[in-house]
Amino acid sequence: MRYSPPRFADKLLRFFLPDDRLEEVLGDLHEEFRWQVVRVGERRARWRYWRDVLGFLKPFAIKRKQANNHFDDYSTTYLMQPTMLRNYVKIAFRNLAKNKTFSVINTLGLALGMACSLLILLWVQDERSVDAFHAHKDQLYRIYMREYFSGKMQGVIWTPGPLAATLKKEIPEIEYATAYEWPGPQTFSVGNKVQKQSLNAVGADFFKMFSFKLLQGTSEAALKDPNNLAISHDMANRFFGSPEAAIGKTIRFDNRKDMLVSAVFENLPKNSTLQFDCLRNWDAYVDDGNDWAKEWGSTDPLTFFMLRPDANPAKVAAKMQHMLDKFNRDEGKPAHTELAMQPFHEYYLNSNFKDAQIDGGRIEYVRLFTIVAVFILLIACVNFMNLATARSGKRAKEVGVRKVVGARRSLLIGQFLGEAMLLTVFSVSLAVLLVGLVVPAFNTLTGKQITLPLLEPSFWGGLVGLTLVTGFVSGSYPAFFLSSLSPIRVLKGIMKFDSTSIWLRQGLVVFQFALSMILIVGMIIIYRQVDYVQTKNLGYNRENLIYFPLEGNLGNQYDVLKTELSQLPGVADVSYLTADPASNGSGTEGISWPGSDPNEKVRFTPVGVGYDFAKAMQIKLREGRDFSKDFPTDSSGFLINEAALKVIGFNQPIGKTITWGKQKGTIIGVLKDFHFQSLHSAIRPLIGYLRTQRLAGNVNAIVRIKAGKTKEALAQIETICKKLNPTFPFTYNFTDQAYARQYQSEQVVSKLASYFAFLAIFISCLGLFGLATFTAEQRVKEIGVRKVLGASVGNIIGLLSKDFLKLVLIAIMLASPVAWWAMNQWLQGFAYKINIEWWMFVVGGVLSVVIALLTVSFQSIKAALINPVKSLRSE
Amino acid sequence: MKRSYLGEFEEIVLLTVAVLELQKQAYGVAITHEIIEQTGRSVRLNQIHSALDRLEDKGMVKSEMGEPTAERGGRRKRLFSVTAYGRRTLQEIQEVRVSFWNRLLNPLNSIGQRGWGMG
Repeated sequence: MRYSPPRFADKLLRFFLPDDRLEEVLGDLHEEFRWQVVRVGERRARWRYWRDVLGFLKPFAIKRKQANNHFDDYSTTYLMQPTMLRNYVKIAFRNLAKNKTFSVINTLGLALGMACSLLILLWVQDERSVDAFHAHKDQLYRIYMREYFSGKMQGVIWTPGPLAATLKKEIPEIEYATAYEWPGPQTFSVGNKVQKQSLNAVGADFFKMFSFKLLQGTSEAALKDPNNLAISHDMANRFFGSPEAAIGKTIRFDNRKDMLVSAVFENLPKNSTLQFDCLRNWDAYVDDGNDWAKEWGSTDPLTFFMLRPDANPAKVAAKMQHMLDKFNRDEGKPAHTELAMQPFHEYYLNSNFKDAQIDGGRIEYVRLFTIVAVFILLIACVNFMNLATARSGKRAKEVGVRKVVGARRSLLIGQFLGEAMLLTVFSVSLAVLLVGLVVPAFNTLTGKQITLPLLEPSFWGGLVGLTLVTGFVSGSYPAFFLSSLSPIRVLKGIMKFDSTSIWLRQGLVVFQFALSMILIVGMIIIYRQVDYVQTKNLGYNRENLIYFPLEGNLGNQYDVLKTELSQLPGVADVSYLTADPASNGSGTEGISWPGSDPNEKVRFTPVGVGYDFAKAMQIKLREGRDFSKDFPTDSSGFLINEAALKVIGFNQPIGKTITWGKQKGTIIGVLKDFHFQSLHSAIRPLIGYLRTQRLAGNVNAIVRIKAGKTKEALAQIETICKKLNPTFPFTYNFTDQAYARQYQSEQVVSKLASYFAFLAIFISCLGLFGLATFTAEQRVKEIGVRKVLGASVGNIIGLLSKDFLKLVLIAIMLASPVAWWAMNQWLQGFAYKINIEWWMFVVGGVLSVVIALLTVSFQSIKAALINPVKSLRSE
Repeated sequence: MKRSYLGEFEEIVLLTVAVLELQKQAYGVAITHEIIEQTGRSVRLNQIHSALDRLEDKGMVKSEMGEPTAERGGRRKRLFSVTAYGRRTLQEIQEVRVSFWNRLLNPLNSIGQRGWGMG
């Protein structure tokens, strides 16, 4: 019968005893055990075995081993020993110092990549924080409408004026509701201080819904009375010196009405989508000459509401969906418009419509850039891995020696990961520094107020996390691959890398360049689209066209103004319209014509205009004529655009009668389609009427200036306006600039994309440069031999570049479809867009190849020019 | 006599090694059993091992790994042998003892020897 000694005792022994002594001691113990079994029986033998094992575990036995510095007693290197740790750090530093090029490339690449990602992530976080600061944010919603237009559902964010009050009345779950209308900058004066401030009209509950902090006044009383005005801290300072001094004072509005400052609110944070200098009561605004806002058919304000805390949003949504039917029927209109709601804090990022449903918006940029951030970081990590792999030939010997002198694998893994971490820590520090330097410029570019959240523990937590992940990812290859090498093979020198390592390295290069290629193509397409949007023929000439509000006396004395302006040498034409020429969002449904389907109401964009409107705007007429003083009947005439004509479907439209509300009129002209909204949306039907009364409020004068005379013309226009309207400051807009402002986010994206594409390719090239250096170094003898045998410098450059070129070409092939798909998605957001063309990929590809070649060639040429005598001397 | 001090127990172990070395049996268990048998002391394996370690440190024994045997679970023995230095040390100890024994048995002789030697 065979008995075996206690297993656990053996385990214990294994743990405590140095490995090289284990065999002998265990052998002795087992032999003794057998003997004891024979002598005293198994039970006592086991007992004695334990006693013996414990005897071996006496502390001095272990201690003696460590203190022993015999040449053959090398086996115990405990990771946690300070001497060893110091040794690791020392070796890491020495390695970094020895390979300066590699270290610099690694650190710089990682730091750049990280700075980039950090910046993007800060931006993303900022984007996501917009509108999230309202205390009741989970109860706040905004309304949008879904309506039929030419047989298709369309989404509209502009809502009828009476909606807010009606919602509150009809749906008990709704606690507060408000309309939100921005008529644009208005003139305010106190004494002789005159300023333009943006004035918005909102419901009396506004401050109870939104958490804008009131410095003076109460949310209850702020907008209660028709004459109340709630102003910002800044505005209070400008007019009265302080918020305290402002309260209860009067401000003259539009030089015709005195309003009472009832509240002062803290300046609005930049991460609020609602922006205004002051607020007035909505009802008072409606009574102040905005009768359209009493009709259900006209839409302009936004509508927000707040649910009671216990309300069920789904039920509310169901209740309001068909709410408009009743009112439409009351006004003799068919039921066709639905209401829908969206959480308020989501609307900044999600504001696009697709098939009348909210679908994306800025969120796509946020996602896009998050992906870009990850990509750039990946590219930088790939560099690190790649360079480490390339260098592993050299490090392999070190690994071999370490293993031979008894380093365990876990120690080697620890060492390599530690080295990677050390480098990552450098890079992260550098990256934070970089971000700190770049943030002001970044803010200017994106129009944000981002700061490094240096005081937030979550930021530091994130940074540590980033360091750990990056350090681990970038150090993982050398750590796990190199540590697995067999010391015998390494030291024998048969350390030619097997195919997996080469595959890995090449795969990484391909991956890296594919990412760069995607970014480059993306950059080209975004740039082209933004350029297209900004240079597209809009159907009117936006150059040299200025507009300014007909406020105060300018409205009353428009005829005088026009006469005087027309006499100026620099002015070509003068007219006016009831909107901003570059963007007009209002709508009306009250239009009918002989043969129109009463069940399908079409939303027209109404615009009140003056004589010579088309001439001043330089809009081409397809048929008919402009409004003209020579035809007294024009006061009941209409201008329509081609889109409207298509809906109406007349063959010979001129002289035909259409009805708007209760007013009949004849079509006097058909305007060629022009873009009065941004290119994100298709051209809608437009109806122009001659506006002769009430030239105030939203009416803008438009003045066509002759090319090259802008400066003097502006000065003269200002003089005339000042003379006619001394109480108002003269402010004007260039239509082209106002137009460009609509594409601010696209412009920012375009700029960011180009910076990021540049950075990505730069970081990739850093990696390529490192690899090329390494390859050239490795093949220096081969090159020497080739030169001796008669190869030319050109041959050798070709030889060295060919390998890299192949990889870049594969990358281009892989990246092209991905880039095409991604950019096609992006372009879907535009109603008018460029086509993705083949040359964009060619340009992107050629750019990648050229950059890659330039990067590699520096090292190749260097290698090719080395005198073979030098490189072959040692053979 | 500037030699490393050799304890009594170490001396016995060293002697046992010297004896067993001839039969290629100078390893842990065998040494232990031999000492128990010869001296009647109850020594334990770990004591022998640490004594051997000390002796090795002092350079009096050297060791090499032997062949694996089945009764040890396929493990090899560490076979010890006495170094030249160890042998000389043993001899010197023996000489010192012999000279003391001589003096104990022939006290006059030893005094005379000493006296003459001094002269």
